[in-house]
Amino acid sequence: MTTLPKQWTSIEELAGDPAFAKKIAAEFPVAASFPPTARRDFLKIMAASLALAGLTGCEKSPFVAGIPYVDQPESALPGVPRHYATAVTLDGYAQPVLATTYDGRPTKLDGLPGHPATQGRSDVFMQAAVLQLYDPDRAQSPTRAGEPVTWTDVGAMFSDQRREWQKDGGKRLRLLLSQTTSPTLVRQIRELQSQFPAARVHLHDTSGERERIAHAIAAYGEPLDLHYQLDACSVVVSFDDDFLGPGPRQLLNAIKWAQARRRGDVPGIQLHCAESIPAATGAVASYRLRAAPSRMPHLVETLAARLGVVGASVNDLSAEERRWLDRTGAALNAAKGRALVTAGLGTGAQTARWVAQINETIGASGQTLKLTSPVADPGVATASLDELVIDMNTGQVDTLVILDANPVYTAPGSLDFASALSKVKTSIHIGLYRDETGHRGTWQLPLTHDLESWSDARAVDGAATIIQPVMTPFYDVRSRHQIMAMMLGRDQAADESVRKTWRDAFGESFDAKWQQALRDGLVAGNAPEIQATPVSGKIEPAPPGADGSDIAFRLDPTVWDGRFANLGWLQELPKPLSTLTWGNVVAVSPAWAREVEVENGDVLEIDIDGRKVSGPAWIMPGQADNTFGLWLGHGREQAGRVGDGIGYNAYSVRPAATPWLAQGAVRKLDRKETLAVTQLHHRMEGFDLVREVSVASPTLPAPSPQPSLYPPHPSAKNAWGMVIDIDSCIGCNACVAACTAENNIAVVGKAQVEMGREMHWLRIARYYVGDVETPRSYFQPVPCMQCEDAPCEMGCPVHATTHSPEGINQMVYNRCIGTRTCSSYCPYKVRRFNYLDYRYTPEAPAEPVHNPDVTLRSRGVMEKCTYCTQRIQAAHVAADKDNRDLRDGDVVTACQAACPTRAIVFGDINDPDSEVSKLRRSGRHYALLEKLGTRPRTTYLAKWNDGSDDEDDRT
Amino acid sequence: MADLPYGLLAEFATEDAIIDAARKVRHAGYRNIDAFTPFPLPRLARVMRIRDSRPAWLGLAGGIFGFLLAFAMQAFVSYTYPLNVGGRPLYPLSAYAVVIFELTILFAVLFLFIGLLALNRLPRLNYPVFNAPRFHLASKDRFFLCIKADDRQFDRDSTARLLREVGAVSLALVPS
Amino acid sequence: MTASATDILPTDQSIGDISRQLTGIPLHFPARRQWWIAMTIAIVLLVLFIVSVIELFTRGVGIWGLNVPVTWAFAIHNYVWWLGIGHAGTLISALLLLTGSEWRNSLNRFAETMTLFAVVCAGIYPVLHLGRPWYLYWMFPYPATMGVWPQFRSPLEWDIWAVLTYLSVSVLFWYTGLIPDLANARDRARRRGWQIFFGILALGWRGSTIHWSRWSRTYRIMAAIAVPLVVSVHSEISLLFAASQMPGWHSTLFPPYFVLGAAFSGFAVVSVIAVALRAMFGLGNLVTRDHLDVLGKVLLATGLMTGYGYVFEVVDTLYGGNSHDLQTLLNRTIGAYAWLYWGAVVFNFVPLQLLWWRIVRRTGWALLLISASVIIGMWLERYMILVTTLYRDFLVSSWRHYTPTFWDWSTYFGTIGLFLVPFLLAIRFIPVISIFETEKTLLDEQEARDG
Repeated sequence: MTTLPKQWTSIEELAGDPAFAKKIAAEFPVAASFPPTARRDFLKIMAASLALAGLTGCEKSPFVAGIPYVDQPESALPGVPRHYATAVTLDGYAQPVLATTYDGRPTKLDGLPGHPATQGRSDVFMQAAVLQLYDPDRAQSPTRAGEPVTWTDVGAMFSDQRREWQKDGGKRLRLLLSQTTSPTLVRQIRELQSQFPAARVHLHDTSGERERIAHAIAAYGEPLDLHYQLDACSVVVSFDDDFLGPGPRQLLNAIKWAQARRRGDVPGIQLHCAESIPAATGAVASYRLRAAPSRMPHLVETLAARLGVVGASVNDLSAEERRWLDRTGAALNAAKGRALVTAGLGTGAQTARWVAQINETIGASGQTLKLTSPVADPGVATASLDELVIDMNTGQVDTLVILDANPVYTAPGSLDFASALSKVKTSIHIGLYRDETGHRGTWQLPLTHDLESWSDARAVDGAATIIQPVMTPFYDVRSRHQIMAMMLGRDQAADESVRKTWRDAFGESFDAKWQQALRDGLVAGNAPEIQATPVSGKIEPAPPGADGSDIAFRLDPTVWDGRFANLGWLQELPKPLSTLTWGNVVAVSPAWAREVEVENGDVLEIDIDGRKVSGPAWIMPGQADNTFGLWLGHGREQAGRVGDGIGYNAYSVRPAATPWLAQGAVRKLDRKETLAVTQLHHRMEGFDLVREVSVASPTLPAPSPQPSLYPPHPSAKNAWGMVIDIDSCIGCNACVAACTAENNIAVVGKAQVEMGREMHWLRIARYYVGDVETPRSYFQPVPCMQCEDAPCEMGCPVHATTHSPEGINQMVYNRCIGTRTCSSYCPYKVRRFNYLDYRYTPEAPAEPVHNPDVTLRSRGVMEKCTYCTQRIQAAHVAADKDNRDLRDGDVVTACQAACPTRAIVFGDINDPDSEVSKLRRSGRHYALLEKLGTRPRTTYLAKWNDGSDDEDDRT
Repeated sequence: MADLPYGLLAEFATEDAIIDAARKVRHAGYRNIDAFTPFPLPRLARVMRIRDSRPAWLGLAGGIFGFLLAFAMQAFVSYTYPLNVGGRPLYPLSAYAVVIFELTILFAVLFLFIGLLALNRLPRLNYPVFNAPRFHLASKDRFFLCIKADDRQFDRDSTARLLREVGAVSLALVPS
Repeated sequence: MTASATDILPTDQSIGDISRQLTGIPLHFPARRQWWIAMTIAIVLLVLFIVSVIELFTRGVGIWGLNVPVTWAFAIHNYVWWLGIGHAGTLISALLLLTGSEWRNSLNRFAETMTLFAVVCAGIYPVLHLGRPWYLYWMFPYPATMGVWPQFRSPLEWDIWAVLTYLSVSVLFWYTGLIPDLANARDRARRRGWQIFFGILALGWRGSTIHWSRWSRTYRIMAAIAVPLVVSVHSEISLLFAASQMPGWHSTLFPPYFVLGAAFSGFAVVSVIAVALRAMFGLGNLVTRDHLDVLGKVLLATGLMTGYGYVFEVVDTLYGGNSHDLQTLLNRTIGAYAWLYWGAVVFNFVPLQLLWWRIVRRTGWALLLISASVIIGMWLERYMILVTTLYRDFLVSSWRHYTPTFWDWSTYFGTIGLFLVPFLLAIRFIPVISIFETEKTLLDEQEARDG
């Protein structure tokens, strides 16, 4: 069995029999979807396909060494999932996950329960990581100038290189790192430096960690990580800091935010947010002030002055700003010790210093703000990318090793890294893809995906996780530690260096601790807290805003810095506020749009110090005037079949000096682009779709009774229902991504989304209320309402959609003939139709990632949210095995499991003690469109309106 | 009697003529007579005492059959595989009404049509009178009266004489 | 005889001439050139239809502009439109037979023929619009291995039965009325082929008095139950919308509104065909100006009743005061698809007013143009009813526009070919006007004149 693949593939490979290739295509469509490749690759794909087909475990597989999260069964049962605790990484930070694998094939990742940094919750990147594992466009073998080579060749190359380096102690060797928290990697880098003392290590990160540290140094005099303890706060003030937005810290912040928000009967935390470009944080803020980024230093200083920080002077303010500062200052004063002020990356060092001073004054440190030494610490002195480029251009670099970074694409345009790279004799790119950098480098060494790797990393809270592979690498790839080992002159098994690291750390009884760590996915202990006081001394007043408009850079909420550009799931995920998919836009303020007569989609040209880029405009309600927002992560050229040529590349105009905020000019070109947005209309048109309660009137009016002509149908023992707390939703999309992964939601591509045919079973409706300058924003997740008197079922002529005794509005795909009556009759329009065959579109994910418990839907078939019926059935089976009733919490839907703020609660409404039943008795509980008498099972909790309703107060 | 002809076929030019003739012929005691006209002549039918209300009853029967069939079919579906459809009742009479109505009419019309052919013994593509030379005018603008040979008063000469007296424009002996 | 019916036909013609003239149309076809021109156009359209359907079945309904929320558009709207047209024939023929309006006799034959093919065009649309058309048979009750049956609460299921019933009844009614004329054609035929053709179709009809009496009885009863059928069918189609809860659909006004609209568009098509055939075959002596006059009056009447539907729909909504219904009303009148609504109003009702003038009603080409505008107007109306409700329904977050694609249009124009080809064949091969009934009418008139 184990040797089977080698034998017969190699025979056919010698024969090169086309009929066989056809057979493979039929057998393993994923293989067919690979680009035509050299026979070598073909062989690998074969091996891959077979591995995916479940034939895992050659004797040397590290997979065997993996320890199941639950007690290891006697033998793996086909079709019965096994779970492994491991982690994927984002910006080098561990995102601890619980990987669900079927027959050795991971299909779903969820946050690791019990890990302080995830607590079982997840974000969109964690959900999509598993798709990246199967990305057919990943680099599949080491290449040299594009030609496939063997790892033996690579080994030879490294030994030659090492001879060169030894001559001058590695003076002409440079290592370019992306941010990392891996103890093992740090150890290896240290070793490399001890071997080649003259070699220099450069750090290049796209997500602003360097600036974060720089601000900390400016404010506290030493490199620090600032950990917001939102759960201890009752007042938070954010200056353009989107701490609830996407990123490695989103999960932890959102979890704590929700905890604080739910404290007591009324909202336990109020958020005051001064924001330039609307984002999640501003959307959930009680009091939002729209302010240009360049205004932030002045606002902070004034606030500091109000709070009596020495040296702070009051700047002149607009009425709007003053009103907001009055309230904010009062709130902070009233909540000393329970308050926190935060500042975003673009707001500059002065702001950071003022914020530190304010936090000191209001007694934040130690209470609501914990300081630790940086979790992401390369462990050696590093230099910046700028310096590297200078050295490259001056010919001081012979060998450049780029580890898991893509500087050709992500380096600020001002550096022109590509031309610098061409001056390097030997450049070795080590990465998951043969991307823009990989194509220009001399060598490209493919990395294993985290889910195939032995490695380790720390989560944002500093807790370390040992990353164990959950499947055999199915490409000819190696882990970063193996490749580092080669550089260090050794050839090691995948797990050897990791074991070494932890053998040193654990000391005695290593094996027990090792097993324990793998089982838990967590090494006990996290970064120790540090006491630090802000640097005193005069803070230079912020320089007057340079001429030109503020141009703020943001990382894309779905493809991040571009590393996820080839993942259809993320490309098609509607961005939190604009619901844009497949691309990025230039966010402009409504006033400016009116003045220049710009509509959504009109192409704008951004000019920063002479470098130009053009992208479609998006009028962002609530955006500060004279401010423009660019999103990084698009416009890639070597991302792969899905991600190439989507959107514009904002890196090309990004200045190296001030990477998050620049000054520039914007003008309208006479071109228009079509934008694939999933929600076209944002005003609520006076309907009570999203309802609000306030502290003054904390309960909604009781719903009018719903008399029905129909006799009630008897319910089964369990009656499933869902309650969604609109107040907790931060629109992070984790639920949508989780649903996509769990239910094999098709990716239909830009053109189909433009036609309005996206397939998400769960959409996050986003509404604005109030004027377009300063609107209030609402997020409302809308899955199927599972109506008890469902109009859709009545319309189906063939009994393809009917009602289960447990109250689920079930869809029988193989009975559906596609009359679409159900969708026409659905008042909530939550049904999705396969207008074409979306199973094998170019954007469609590879088959192996599909959840085997969920049917793929063919063309011409209606589909919809099923409350994850496969999970309900699994729970029933499990309960029946133990001969017990289902308990509350036995069934957890994918969206519910993912939601970081626990806004989605699912359970049995027949059980009066279940959490969902309790919430249904809440005063905030209401049903969407209840007057229609559809009697939905999915209902909502109204949003808390913190600000008083009178317009002037709502800044 | 093998050589017995089908009957005597008399042609008339106008509606009134044939009606008048038919009355006289019946008066003379002939019973086994038939008439062929381009379009229905209710008066002629009355004179010839021709009346058949069976089509109406057939239609009624068809209607009742369709009604019962439709109801039974729909009730059976709910009975044999009861499913909760949108919380609607298992036997929604109001929803059944439509199909019941349609099938009632469908079967009424089917019965009527088939009944019409059956009663008229149609289709029958050949028929003795077609052999009469001028009979093709029966569908155009001429009216034909036929006294069948098996009428007990039938006698070639006397019957022919009678037909001439009542004003036949042409006369033909129709072989069987 | 009703007084109005006297002298609808010029009485200075013999019934023999009529049957020679009418049976002559198939037997020695007069208007070959026009017929071939028309036929060529029809065939081109039919080919377009076939191509569209092949594309549709190979790639799926995604080739149309549909989306969510607009999951129904062209297919359903043209289905309703065609079916509406298909209502005039049986209605004219049956209703007027019962009221004994003799003038019908010149029109009923081609009106009924038109009906058949219009219903066929309508009937094919629900099949095309299925996501998986090859499973159409699941809509019929048969003992399936899955043990599942059709769902009789669904208006779509009602549809199938209603349309199939309507089609079969129309065919039987049409054929029953046709038999005597086929016999006539058989007797006029000289060439062997024609004799066999008509001989078989005529089933050996010989006009025996007893046959005639049974025939009349049957025919009248059929007519008597065809009338409620016609009304029921389009009422049922309206339930396709009214049975849902969608704003702008969920209204008790819909059944009568749809039936009247159907009759309206149907009569418009009948008028067009009447004028066309009249010119094509020189039937001025049978389809007289009086006929056009009557048609004009009927058109005007049904049009005004449909107009009442429009007015009351608005009144209804305003009186009901449901916020979502009001929203839909706004979307219809001033929304993105307002041009549909006002287009329907203008095309349906503005030229129609000319029919108040006798001279207009009696002028062929005028009636033709007005009818054409009505046909367009009713098409816009069906479009409007579907799309303006769906594109903006209850939840603002699901609002989306709909734009027909090339394939939407090609399928639609294709069905026009699907209609014309068999219709042209029909007028080529069977008597376009009921011969014996016209003869009867004429004869009665002549008597009325003489005595």
